[in-house]
Amino acid sequence: MEQRLRPKRPFSAQIHRLVLLLLLVINIYPLLWMVLNSLKTEQELTMNPFGIARQPVWSNYIEAWKVAKLGPYLVNSIIVTLSAVVLTLLVGALAAFFLSRFEFKSKGFLLVYFTFGMLIPIHATLVPLFIEMRSLHLMDNRLTLLLPYTAFNLPITIFILAGFMNAFPKEVEEAGIMDGCSVMGIFGRLILPMLTPALATAFIINFLNNWNEFSFALVLITDGALKTLPLGLANFAGQYNRSYTLQMAGLTIVLVPTLLFYLSVQKYLTAGMTAGAVKG
Amino acid sequence: MQMFLRHKWIIAAGLIPALVIYTMFSIYPILSSVYYSFFKWDGFSPKQWHGLQNYVNLIGDGVFWQSIRNNLYFVLFSVLGEIPLGLYLAMMLNGKLFRRDGIFRTVFFMPVVISTIVVSLIWNMFYNYQFGLVNTALRAVGLDHWAQNWLGNPGLAIFVLCIVVVWQYTGLYMVIFLAALQNVPSEVLEAAELDGAVGIKRTWHIVVPIIADTIFASVVLCISGALRAFDLIYIMTNGGPSHSTEVGATYMFSQTFSSMKYGYGSAISTAIIIISFGLIIISQFILRSLKR
Repeated sequence: MEQRLRPKRPFSAQIHRLVLLLLLVINIYPLLWMVLNSLKTEQELTMNPFGIARQPVWSNYIEAWKVAKLGPYLVNSIIVTLSAVVLTLLVGALAAFFLSRFEFKSKGFLLVYFTFGMLIPIHATLVPLFIEMRSLHLMDNRLTLLLPYTAFNLPITIFILAGFMNAFPKEVEEAGIMDGCSVMGIFGRLILPMLTPALATAFIINFLNNWNEFSFALVLITDGALKTLPLGLANFAGQYNRSYTLQMAGLTIVLVPTLLFYLSVQKYLTAGMTAGAVKG
Repeated sequence: MQMFLRHKWIIAAGLIPALVIYTMFSIYPILSSVYYSFFKWDGFSPKQWHGLQNYVNLIGDGVFWQSIRNNLYFVLFSVLGEIPLGLYLAMMLNGKLFRRDGIFRTVFFMPVVISTIVVSLIWNMFYNYQFGLVNTALRAVGLDHWAQNWLGNPGLAIFVLCIVVVWQYTGLYMVIFLAALQNVPSEVLEAAELDGAVGIKRTWHIVVPIIADTIFASVVLCISGALRAFDLIYIMTNGGPSHSTEVGATYMFSQTFSSMKYGYGSAISTAIIIISFGLIIISQFILRSLKR
Protein backbone atom coordinates (compact mmCIF):
# COMPACT_ATOMS: atom_id res chain seq x y z
CA MET A 1 0.00 0.00 0.00
CA GLU A 2 2.65 2.44 1.05
CA GLN A 3 4.71 1.70 -2.01
CA ARG A 4 1.72 2.32 -4.18
CA LEU A 5 0.71 5.50 -2.47
CA ARG A 6 4.00 7.32 -2.78
CA PRO A 7 4.43 7.15 -6.51
CA LYS A 8 0.76 7.91 -6.89
CA ARG A 9 0.81 11.24 -5.08
CA PRO A 10 4.44 12.03 -4.64
CA PHE A 11 4.04 15.78 -4.85
CA SER A 12 1.37 16.33 -2.21
CA ALA A 13 3.04 13.81 0.07
CA GLN A 14 6.27 15.77 -0.14
CA ILE A 15 4.43 19.01 0.62
CA HIS A 16 2.85 17.49 3.70
CA ARG A 17 6.15 16.10 4.85
CA LEU A 18 7.67 19.54 4.46
CA VAL A 19 4.85 21.21 6.39
CA LEU A 20 5.12 18.70 9.20
CA LEU A 21 8.88 19.06 9.40
CA LEU A 22 8.52 22.82 9.50
CA LEU A 23 6.00 22.56 12.34
CA LEU A 24 8.34 20.17 14.10
CA VAL A 25 11.09 22.75 13.97
CA ILE A 26 8.72 25.49 15.16
CA ASN A 27 7.81 23.29 18.11
CA ILE A 28 11.34 22.40 19.12
CA TYR A 29 13.41 25.39 18.14
CA PRO A 30 12.34 27.90 20.82
CA LEU A 31 13.27 25.37 23.49
CA LEU A 32 16.56 24.46 21.86
CA TRP A 33 17.42 28.12 21.31
CA MET A 34 16.93 28.76 25.00
CA VAL A 35 19.07 25.81 26.09
CA LEU A 36 21.88 26.83 23.74
CA ASN A 37 21.80 30.41 24.95
CA SER A 38 21.74 29.41 28.60
CA LEU A 39 25.43 28.57 28.27
CA LYS A 40 26.52 31.95 26.94
CA THR A 41 27.70 35.11 28.58
CA GLU A 42 25.36 38.06 28.44
CA GLN A 43 27.62 39.67 25.88
CA GLU A 44 27.78 36.66 23.61
CA LEU A 45 24.00 36.40 23.68
CA THR A 46 23.61 39.85 22.11
CA MET A 47 26.46 39.36 19.68
CA ASN A 48 25.57 35.87 18.58
CA PRO A 49 22.04 34.80 19.49
CA PHE A 50 21.90 31.98 16.94
CA GLY A 51 24.97 29.84 17.42
CA ILE A 52 26.42 27.51 20.00
CA ALA A 53 28.35 29.03 22.90
CA ARG A 54 32.05 29.32 22.16
CA GLN A 55 32.87 28.54 25.74
CA PRO A 56 29.99 27.08 27.75
CA VAL A 57 29.40 29.04 30.95
CA TRP A 58 28.19 26.26 33.23
CA SER A 59 28.28 28.59 36.20
CA ASN A 60 25.06 30.16 34.85
CA TYR A 61 23.28 27.08 36.10
CA ILE A 62 24.75 27.19 39.56
CA GLU A 63 23.99 30.86 39.90
CA ALA A 64 20.45 30.54 38.51
CA TRP A 65 19.74 27.73 40.97
CA LYS A 66 20.84 29.91 43.88
CA VAL A 67 19.45 33.25 42.74
CA ALA A 68 15.98 31.91 41.96
CA LYS A 69 15.94 29.71 45.10
CA LEU A 70 14.99 26.74 42.93
CA GLY A 71 15.94 24.22 45.63
CA PRO A 72 13.28 25.09 48.23
CA TYR A 73 10.68 25.83 45.55
CA LEU A 74 11.29 22.41 44.04
CA VAL A 75 10.69 20.74 47.40
CA ASN A 76 7.47 22.74 47.89
CA SER A 77 6.26 21.87 44.42
CA ILE A 78 6.89 18.16 44.97
CA ILE A 79 5.03 18.15 48.31
CA VAL A 80 2.03 20.13 47.05
CA THR A 81 1.78 18.32 43.73
CA LEU A 82 2.03 14.80 45.06
CA SER A 83 -0.28 15.29 48.03
CA ALA A 84 -2.94 16.85 45.80
CA VAL A 85 -2.59 14.07 43.21
CA VAL A 86 -2.98 11.35 45.84
CA LEU A 87 -6.02 13.01 47.41
CA THR A 88 -7.64 13.62 44.02
CA LEU A 89 -7.13 10.05 42.85
CA LEU A 90 -8.43 8.57 46.11
CA VAL A 91 -11.51 10.74 46.33
CA GLY A 92 -12.06 10.77 42.58
CA ALA A 93 -11.79 7.01 42.09
CA LEU A 94 -14.29 6.41 44.88
CA ALA A 95 -16.76 8.91 43.43
CA ALA A 96 -16.27 7.59 39.91
CA PHE A 97 -16.90 4.05 41.17
CA PHE A 98 -20.31 4.90 42.56
CA LEU A 99 -21.20 7.15 39.63
CA SER A 100 -20.25 4.52 37.10
CA ARG A 101 -21.29 1.21 38.67
CA PHE A 102 -24.46 2.06 40.61
CA GLU A 103 -27.92 3.29 39.82
CA PHE A 104 -29.49 5.96 42.02
CA LYS A 105 -31.80 8.92 41.59
CA SER A 106 -29.38 11.84 41.62
CA LYS A 107 -26.79 10.12 39.42
CA GLY A 108 -27.55 12.07 36.24
CA PHE A 109 -27.48 15.36 38.07
CA LEU A 110 -24.21 14.58 39.81
CA LEU A 111 -22.52 13.62 36.55
CA VAL A 112 -23.50 16.96 35.01
CA TYR A 113 -22.55 18.76 38.23
CA PHE A 114 -19.04 17.35 38.17
CA THR A 115 -18.58 17.77 34.41
CA PHE A 116 -19.53 21.44 34.78
CA GLY A 117 -16.28 21.93 36.66
CA MET A 118 -14.28 21.45 33.49
CA LEU A 119 -15.81 24.59 32.01
CA ILE A 120 -15.46 26.90 35.00
CA PRO A 121 -13.21 29.85 34.21
CA ILE A 122 -10.92 29.27 37.16
CA HIS A 123 -9.75 32.85 37.37
CA ALA A 124 -13.27 33.93 38.17
CA THR A 125 -12.81 32.02 41.43
CA LEU A 126 -9.54 33.66 42.46
CA VAL A 127 -11.03 36.52 44.45
CA PRO A 128 -13.70 34.54 46.31
CA LEU A 129 -11.27 31.68 46.93
CA PHE A 130 -8.79 34.12 48.39
CA ILE A 131 -11.48 35.49 50.69
CA GLU A 132 -12.70 32.01 51.59
CA MET A 133 -9.19 30.79 52.40
CA ARG A 134 -8.52 33.87 54.48
CA SER A 135 -11.67 33.40 56.53
CA LEU A 136 -10.86 29.70 57.02
CA HIS A 137 -7.35 30.74 58.15
CA LEU A 138 -5.90 28.52 55.45
CA MET A 139 -3.64 31.07 53.80
CA ASP A 140 0.07 30.37 53.59
CA ASN A 141 -0.11 26.86 54.80
CA ARG A 142 0.93 23.49 53.45
CA LEU A 143 -2.77 22.66 52.99
CA THR A 144 -3.62 25.87 51.16
CA LEU A 145 -3.10 24.65 47.62
CA LEU A 146 -4.06 21.04 48.31
CA LEU A 147 -7.81 21.69 48.45
CA PRO A 148 -8.27 23.96 45.40
CA TYR A 149 -5.97 21.76 43.33
CA THR A 150 -8.01 18.73 44.29
CA ALA A 151 -11.30 20.51 43.64
CA PHE A 152 -10.29 21.67 40.16
CA ASN A 153 -8.84 18.33 39.10
CA LEU A 154 -11.73 16.21 40.35
CA PRO A 155 -13.96 16.79 37.29
CA ILE A 156 -11.44 15.57 34.71
CA THR A 157 -10.33 12.75 37.03
CA ILE A 158 -13.87 11.52 37.60
CA PHE A 159 -14.59 11.91 33.89
CA ILE A 160 -11.64 9.74 32.87
CA LEU A 161 -12.10 7.11 35.58
CA ALA A 162 -15.87 6.79 35.21
CA GLY A 163 -15.55 6.65 31.43
CA PHE A 164 -13.05 3.82 31.74
CA MET A 165 -15.15 1.94 34.30
CA ASN A 166 -18.27 2.16 32.16
CA ALA A 167 -16.63 -0.31 29.82
CA PHE A 168 -16.25 -2.96 32.54
CA PRO A 169 -18.78 -5.81 32.28
CA LYS A 170 -21.50 -6.15 34.93
CA GLU A 171 -20.17 -9.60 35.78
CA VAL A 172 -17.37 -8.00 37.76
CA GLU A 173 -19.67 -7.03 40.62
CA GLU A 174 -21.73 -10.18 40.30
CA ALA A 175 -18.62 -12.29 40.74
CA GLY A 176 -17.69 -10.17 43.73
CA ILE A 177 -21.09 -10.66 45.35
CA MET A 178 -20.95 -14.40 44.77
CA ASP A 179 -17.62 -14.50 46.56
CA GLY A 180 -19.11 -12.58 49.46
CA CYS A 181 -17.27 -9.31 48.85
CA SER A 182 -18.60 -6.15 50.45
CA VAL A 183 -19.11 -3.07 48.29
CA MET A 184 -15.77 -1.70 49.35
CA GLY A 185 -14.23 -5.10 48.79
CA ILE A 186 -15.43 -5.05 45.20
CA PHE A 187 -13.99 -1.57 44.79
CA GLY A 188 -10.66 -2.38 46.37
CA ARG A 189 -10.06 -5.89 45.12
CA LEU A 190 -11.75 -5.97 41.74
CA ILE A 191 -12.25 -2.50 40.34
CA LEU A 192 -9.08 -0.70 41.43
CA PRO A 193 -6.69 -3.25 39.89
CA MET A 194 -8.62 -3.12 36.62
CA LEU A 195 -8.56 0.67 36.76
CA THR A 196 -4.77 0.94 36.75
CA PRO A 197 -4.34 2.25 33.17
CA ALA A 198 -6.90 5.01 33.70
CA LEU A 199 -5.41 5.82 37.10
CA ALA A 200 -2.02 6.20 35.42
CA THR A 201 -3.42 8.72 32.96
CA ALA A 202 -5.29 10.60 35.65
CA PHE A 203 -2.12 10.64 37.73
CA ILE A 204 -0.10 12.16 34.89
CA ILE A 205 -2.70 14.79 34.01
CA ASN A 206 -3.12 15.73 37.66
CA PHE A 207 0.61 15.82 38.18
CA LEU A 208 1.22 18.13 35.23
CA ASN A 209 -1.71 20.41 36.11
CA ASN A 210 -0.57 20.86 39.69
CA TRP A 211 3.10 21.07 38.83
CA ASN A 212 2.47 23.89 36.36
CA GLU A 213 -0.28 25.71 38.26
CA PHE A 214 0.41 29.38 38.75
CA SER A 215 -2.58 31.58 39.53
CA PHE A 216 -3.85 29.92 42.73
CA ALA A 217 -0.32 29.77 44.04
CA LEU A 218 0.17 33.43 43.15
CA VAL A 219 -2.89 34.55 45.08
CA LEU A 220 -2.91 32.12 48.00
CA ILE A 221 0.80 31.85 48.82
CA THR A 222 2.67 34.94 49.89
CA ASP A 223 5.14 33.31 52.26
CA GLY A 224 8.43 32.94 50.36
CA ALA A 225 9.18 29.69 52.19
CA LEU A 226 6.05 28.02 50.77
CA LYS A 227 6.25 29.17 47.14
CA THR A 228 6.18 26.67 44.32
CA LEU A 229 8.37 26.48 41.22
CA PRO A 230 6.14 28.48 38.83
CA LEU A 231 6.14 31.33 41.35
CA GLY A 232 9.90 31.12 41.62
CA LEU A 233 10.21 31.31 37.85
CA ALA A 234 7.89 34.30 37.72
CA ASN A 235 10.59 36.12 39.68
CA PHE A 236 12.63 35.99 36.51
CA ALA A 237 10.04 38.15 34.79
CA GLY A 238 10.62 40.85 37.35
CA GLN A 239 13.66 41.30 39.46
CA TYR A 240 16.23 39.24 37.57
CA ASN A 241 15.30 40.25 34.07
CA ARG A 242 18.62 42.01 33.64
CA SER A 243 20.35 38.72 33.13
CA TYR A 244 18.77 36.77 30.33
CA THR A 245 21.34 34.00 30.25
CA LEU A 246 20.73 33.34 33.91
CA GLN A 247 17.02 33.27 33.22
CA MET A 248 17.52 30.79 30.40
CA ALA A 249 19.61 28.56 32.64
CA GLY A 250 16.91 28.66 35.33
CA LEU A 251 14.18 27.82 32.84
CA THR A 252 16.24 24.97 31.43
CA ILE A 253 16.65 23.53 34.91
CA VAL A 254 12.87 23.41 35.24
CA LEU A 255 12.13 22.46 31.65
CA VAL A 256 14.39 19.44 31.33
CA PRO A 257 12.87 17.32 34.12
CA THR A 258 9.35 18.15 32.86
CA LEU A 259 10.28 17.02 29.37
CA LEU A 260 11.97 13.87 30.65
CA PHE A 261 8.88 13.07 32.70
CA TYR A 262 6.70 13.67 29.67
CA LEU A 263 8.82 11.54 27.38
CA SER A 264 8.81 8.64 29.83
CA VAL A 265 5.04 8.71 30.40
CA GLN A 266 3.72 10.05 27.11
CA LYS A 267 2.48 6.64 25.98
CA TYR A 268 0.11 6.38 28.96
CA LEU A 269 -0.81 10.04 28.79
CA THR A 270 -2.03 10.08 25.21
CA ALA A 271 -3.56 6.60 25.46
CA GLY A 272 -5.66 7.60 28.45
CA MET A 273 -6.56 10.99 27.05
CA THR A 274 -7.80 9.35 23.92
CA ALA A 275 -9.90 6.95 25.98
CA GLY A 276 -11.41 9.90 27.83
CA ALA A 277 -11.90 12.04 24.76
CA VAL A 278 -13.74 9.36 22.83
CA LYS A 279 -16.24 8.95 25.62
CA GLY A 280 -16.82 12.71 25.67
CA MET B 1 -27.89 -5.27 42.18
CA GLN B 2 -30.30 -5.89 45.08
CA MET B 3 -27.43 -5.72 47.48
CA PHE B 4 -26.36 -2.32 46.21
CA LEU B 5 -29.77 -0.78 46.81
CA ARG B 6 -29.59 -1.76 50.45
CA HIS B 7 -26.35 0.15 50.71
CA LYS B 8 -27.53 3.64 49.92
CA TRP B 9 -25.49 5.06 52.74
CA ILE B 10 -22.37 3.57 51.21
CA ILE B 11 -23.08 5.34 47.94
CA ALA B 12 -23.52 8.58 49.83
CA ALA B 13 -20.38 8.03 51.88
CA GLY B 14 -18.37 7.31 48.73
CA LEU B 15 -19.55 10.44 46.96
CA ILE B 16 -19.45 12.87 49.86
CA PRO B 17 -15.68 13.53 50.01
CA ALA B 18 -15.53 14.46 46.32
CA LEU B 19 -18.73 16.47 46.54
CA VAL B 20 -17.64 18.44 49.59
CA ILE B 21 -14.20 19.37 48.26
CA TYR B 22 -15.48 20.17 44.79
CA THR B 23 -18.42 22.22 46.02
CA MET B 24 -16.46 24.14 48.63
CA PHE B 25 -13.49 25.10 46.49
CA SER B 26 -14.91 25.22 43.00
CA ILE B 27 -18.66 25.87 42.97
CA TYR B 28 -19.08 27.90 46.15
CA PRO B 29 -16.44 30.48 45.08
CA ILE B 30 -18.40 31.16 41.91
CA LEU B 31 -21.58 31.77 43.85
CA SER B 32 -19.85 33.97 46.39
CA SER B 33 -18.25 35.90 43.56
CA VAL B 34 -21.73 36.88 42.43
CA TYR B 35 -22.58 37.84 46.00
CA TYR B 36 -19.49 40.04 46.52
CA SER B 37 -20.15 41.79 43.23
CA PHE B 38 -23.03 43.68 44.86
CA PHE B 39 -20.77 45.34 47.42
CA LYS B 40 -18.26 48.12 47.59
CA TRP B 41 -15.40 46.54 49.46
CA ASP B 42 -11.67 46.96 49.83
CA GLY B 43 -11.30 43.44 51.19
CA PHE B 44 -10.69 44.44 54.79
CA SER B 45 -13.09 47.08 56.15
CA PRO B 46 -16.82 46.23 56.36
CA LYS B 47 -18.65 45.64 53.09
CA GLN B 48 -20.99 48.35 51.81
CA TRP B 49 -24.06 47.37 49.85
CA HIS B 50 -23.59 48.76 46.36
CA GLY B 51 -26.52 47.23 44.48
CA LEU B 52 -25.90 47.06 40.77
CA GLN B 53 -23.50 50.00 40.83
CA ASN B 54 -20.45 47.82 40.10
CA TYR B 55 -22.16 46.54 36.98
CA VAL B 56 -23.17 50.03 35.92
CA ASN B 57 -19.55 51.11 36.29
CA LEU B 58 -18.43 48.04 34.41
CA ILE B 59 -20.61 48.86 31.44
CA GLY B 60 -19.09 52.34 31.27
CA ASP B 61 -15.54 51.05 31.73
CA GLY B 62 -13.57 51.23 28.48
CA VAL B 63 -10.74 49.04 29.78
CA PHE B 64 -13.21 46.30 30.63
CA TRP B 65 -14.58 46.26 27.08
CA GLN B 66 -11.07 46.31 25.71
CA SER B 67 -10.26 43.29 27.83
CA ILE B 68 -13.36 41.48 26.61
CA ARG B 69 -12.41 42.29 23.03
CA ASN B 70 -8.96 40.82 23.64
CA ASN B 71 -10.57 37.75 25.17
CA LEU B 72 -12.57 37.37 21.98
CA TYR B 73 -9.37 37.60 19.91
CA PHE B 74 -7.97 34.79 22.00
CA VAL B 75 -11.10 32.71 21.47
CA LEU B 76 -11.13 33.41 17.75
CA PHE B 77 -7.44 32.62 17.24
CA SER B 78 -7.72 29.49 19.38
CA VAL B 79 -10.82 28.10 17.72
CA LEU B 80 -9.78 29.01 14.18
CA GLY B 81 -6.11 28.21 14.70
CA GLU B 82 -5.81 25.29 17.07
CA ILE B 83 -8.77 23.23 15.90
CA PRO B 84 -8.12 23.20 12.12
CA LEU B 85 -4.39 22.83 12.65
CA GLY B 86 -4.94 20.10 15.22
CA LEU B 87 -7.30 18.34 12.85
CA TYR B 88 -4.81 18.59 9.99
CA LEU B 89 -2.03 17.15 12.15
CA ALA B 90 -4.27 14.37 13.44
CA MET B 91 -5.31 13.41 9.92
CA MET B 92 -1.71 13.39 8.76
CA LEU B 93 -0.45 11.38 11.72
CA ASN B 94 -3.30 8.94 11.44
CA GLY B 95 -2.71 8.50 7.72
CA LYS B 96 -0.28 6.12 6.11
CA LEU B 97 2.38 8.68 5.33
CA PHE B 98 3.31 9.45 8.90
CA ARG B 99 1.70 6.77 11.01
CA ARG B 100 5.00 5.25 11.99
CA ASP B 101 6.75 8.52 12.79
CA GLY B 102 5.99 8.68 16.51
CA ILE B 103 8.30 11.65 16.89
CA PHE B 104 5.74 14.01 15.36
CA ARG B 105 3.08 13.13 17.89
CA THR B 106 5.55 13.36 20.75
CA VAL B 107 6.88 16.75 19.70
CA PHE B 108 3.57 18.34 18.76
CA PHE B 109 2.09 17.52 22.14
CA MET B 110 5.19 18.66 24.02
CA PRO B 111 4.27 22.35 24.46
CA VAL B 112 1.02 21.30 26.16
CA VAL B 113 2.86 19.78 29.11
CA ILE B 114 5.28 22.64 29.65
CA SER B 115 4.35 25.13 32.34
CA THR B 116 2.79 28.26 30.86
CA ILE B 117 5.25 30.30 32.91
CA VAL B 118 8.15 28.63 31.15
CA VAL B 119 6.46 29.06 27.76
CA SER B 120 5.80 32.74 28.49
CA LEU B 121 9.35 33.48 29.54
CA ILE B 122 10.85 31.64 26.57
CA TRP B 123 8.65 33.53 24.12
CA ASN B 124 9.35 36.78 25.89
CA MET B 125 12.99 36.32 25.04
CA PHE B 126 12.10 35.12 21.59
CA TYR B 127 10.37 38.44 20.92
CA ASN B 128 13.10 40.46 22.66
CA TYR B 129 14.06 43.57 20.73
CA GLN B 130 17.81 43.17 21.05
CA PHE B 131 18.70 39.50 20.81
CA GLY B 132 15.27 37.92 20.23
CA LEU B 133 15.10 35.41 17.47
CA VAL B 134 12.39 37.17 15.49
CA ASN B 135 14.32 40.40 15.18
CA THR B 136 17.66 38.69 14.64
CA ALA B 137 16.16 36.70 11.80
CA LEU B 138 14.61 39.81 10.24
CA ARG B 139 17.90 41.69 10.45
CA ALA B 140 19.74 38.74 8.98
CA VAL B 141 17.62 38.88 5.83
CA GLY B 142 17.87 42.65 5.56
CA LEU B 143 14.42 43.53 6.90
CA ASP B 144 15.86 45.73 9.64
CA HIS B 145 13.00 48.17 9.53
CA TRP B 146 10.57 45.35 10.40
CA ALA B 147 12.45 44.55 13.58
CA GLN B 148 10.64 46.01 16.56
CA ASN B 149 9.60 45.61 20.14
CA TRP B 150 6.85 43.12 19.39
CA LEU B 151 5.25 43.08 22.81
CA GLY B 152 5.59 46.84 23.22
CA ASN B 153 3.52 47.71 20.17
CA PRO B 154 -0.06 48.27 21.35
CA GLY B 155 -1.50 47.47 17.95
CA LEU B 156 0.35 44.18 17.59
CA ALA B 157 0.98 42.80 21.06
CA ILE B 158 -2.31 40.94 21.45
CA PHE B 159 -1.80 39.08 18.17
CA VAL B 160 1.78 38.31 19.09
CA LEU B 161 0.36 36.69 22.24
CA CYS B 162 -2.26 34.80 20.23
CA ILE B 163 0.53 33.11 18.26
CA VAL B 164 2.02 31.81 21.50
CA VAL B 165 -1.34 30.41 22.59
CA VAL B 166 -1.78 28.57 19.30
CA TRP B 167 1.79 27.27 19.55
CA GLN B 168 1.14 25.96 23.04
CA TYR B 169 -2.22 24.26 22.63
CA THR B 170 -2.56 22.94 19.08
CA GLY B 171 -1.06 19.62 20.21
CA LEU B 172 -3.89 19.08 22.68
CA TYR B 173 -6.51 19.09 19.95
CA MET B 174 -4.29 16.96 17.74
CA VAL B 175 -4.32 14.22 20.38
CA ILE B 176 -8.06 14.50 20.94
CA PHE B 177 -8.75 14.27 17.20
CA LEU B 178 -6.29 11.40 16.80
CA ALA B 179 -8.32 9.52 19.36
CA ALA B 180 -11.54 10.17 17.51
CA LEU B 181 -10.01 9.21 14.16
CA GLN B 182 -8.79 5.92 15.57
CA ASN B 183 -12.40 4.97 16.17
CA VAL B 184 -13.43 5.67 12.58
CA PRO B 185 -13.39 2.62 10.28
CA SER B 186 -10.09 2.66 8.46
CA GLU B 187 -11.60 2.13 5.00
CA VAL B 188 -13.49 5.39 5.30
CA LEU B 189 -10.36 7.25 6.31
CA GLU B 190 -8.24 5.63 3.66
CA ALA B 191 -10.68 6.61 0.99
CA ALA B 192 -10.75 10.15 2.33
CA GLU B 193 -7.02 10.25 2.83
CA LEU B 194 -6.21 9.37 -0.76
CA ASP B 195 -7.82 12.63 -1.76
CA GLY B 196 -7.88 14.23 1.67
CA ALA B 197 -4.21 14.93 1.28
CA VAL B 198 -5.13 17.59 -1.26
CA GLY B 199 -8.90 17.55 -1.34
CA ILE B 200 -10.03 19.57 1.63
CA LYS B 201 -13.54 19.19 0.27
CA ARG B 202 -13.50 15.43 0.83
CA THR B 203 -12.16 15.82 4.33
CA TRP B 204 -14.85 18.34 5.08
CA HIS B 205 -17.63 16.13 3.76
CA ILE B 206 -16.48 12.74 5.01
CA VAL B 207 -14.17 12.93 7.99
CA VAL B 208 -15.47 16.03 9.74
CA PRO B 209 -19.08 14.81 9.95
CA ILE B 210 -17.94 11.48 11.40
CA ILE B 211 -16.03 13.07 14.25
CA ALA B 212 -18.40 16.05 14.56
CA ASP B 213 -19.18 15.32 18.22
CA THR B 214 -15.52 15.36 19.15
CA ILE B 215 -15.09 18.62 17.28
CA PHE B 216 -18.03 20.15 19.17
CA ALA B 217 -16.56 19.07 22.48
CA SER B 218 -13.19 20.48 21.41
CA VAL B 219 -14.68 23.83 20.49
CA VAL B 220 -16.21 24.09 23.96
CA LEU B 221 -12.91 23.11 25.54
CA CYS B 222 -11.09 25.57 23.30
CA ILE B 223 -13.37 28.48 24.19
CA SER B 224 -13.19 27.87 27.91
CA GLY B 225 -9.44 27.34 27.58
CA ALA B 226 -8.94 30.61 25.69
CA LEU B 227 -10.94 32.49 28.30
CA ARG B 228 -8.71 31.07 31.01
CA ALA B 229 -5.65 32.81 29.57
CA PHE B 230 -4.09 34.55 32.52
CA ASP B 231 -0.63 33.23 33.34
CA LEU B 232 0.65 33.90 29.84
CA ILE B 233 -0.45 37.53 29.78
CA TYR B 234 0.40 38.19 33.41
CA ILE B 235 3.99 37.13 32.72
CA MET B 236 4.48 38.39 29.17
CA THR B 237 2.87 41.85 29.21
CA ASN B 238 0.79 42.13 32.39
CA GLY B 239 -1.95 43.65 30.26
CA GLY B 240 0.21 46.42 28.83
CA PRO B 241 1.23 48.48 27.01
CA SER B 242 -1.59 50.80 28.10
CA HIS B 243 -4.13 47.95 28.56
CA SER B 244 -3.73 46.83 24.94
CA THR B 245 -3.31 43.18 25.97
CA GLU B 246 -5.61 43.27 28.98
CA VAL B 247 -8.00 40.32 29.24
CA GLY B 248 -10.82 39.82 31.71
CA ALA B 249 -8.71 37.77 34.10
CA THR B 250 -5.77 40.19 34.22
CA TYR B 251 -8.08 43.16 34.65
CA MET B 252 -9.96 41.38 37.41
CA PHE B 253 -6.65 40.56 39.07
CA SER B 254 -5.28 44.09 38.98
CA GLN B 255 -8.56 45.68 40.07
CA THR B 256 -8.86 43.29 43.00
CA PHE B 257 -5.35 42.74 44.27
CA SER B 258 -3.60 45.94 43.18
CA SER B 259 -6.41 48.51 43.37
CA MET B 260 -8.10 46.69 46.28
CA LYS B 261 -11.55 46.88 44.72
CA TYR B 262 -12.87 43.48 45.75
CA GLY B 263 -16.45 44.19 44.82
CA TYR B 264 -15.54 45.50 41.42
CA GLY B 265 -13.15 42.60 40.85
CA SER B 266 -15.95 40.21 41.74
CA ALA B 267 -18.24 41.92 39.25
CA ILE B 268 -15.58 41.36 36.57
CA SER B 269 -15.33 37.71 37.64
CA THR B 270 -19.07 37.32 37.33
CA ALA B 271 -18.98 38.95 33.91
CA ILE B 272 -16.26 36.49 32.83
CA ILE B 273 -18.44 33.58 33.92
CA ILE B 274 -21.49 34.93 32.09
CA ILE B 275 -19.49 35.62 28.92
CA SER B 276 -17.82 32.18 29.06
CA PHE B 277 -21.06 30.31 29.25
CA GLY B 278 -22.73 32.65 26.81
CA LEU B 279 -20.02 31.96 24.23
CA ILE B 280 -20.21 28.23 24.81
CA ILE B 281 -23.99 28.23 24.34
CA ILE B 282 -23.76 30.40 21.20
CA SER B 283 -21.06 28.18 19.71
CA GLN B 284 -23.22 25.13 20.34
CA PHE B 285 -26.12 26.72 18.48
CA ILE B 286 -23.89 27.60 15.54
CA LEU B 287 -22.31 24.14 15.41
CA ARG B 288 -25.67 22.37 15.71
CA SER B 289 -27.05 24.35 12.80
CA LEU B 290 -23.90 23.64 10.79
CA LYS B 291 -24.36 19.95 11.40
CA ARG B 292 -27.76 19.97 9.76
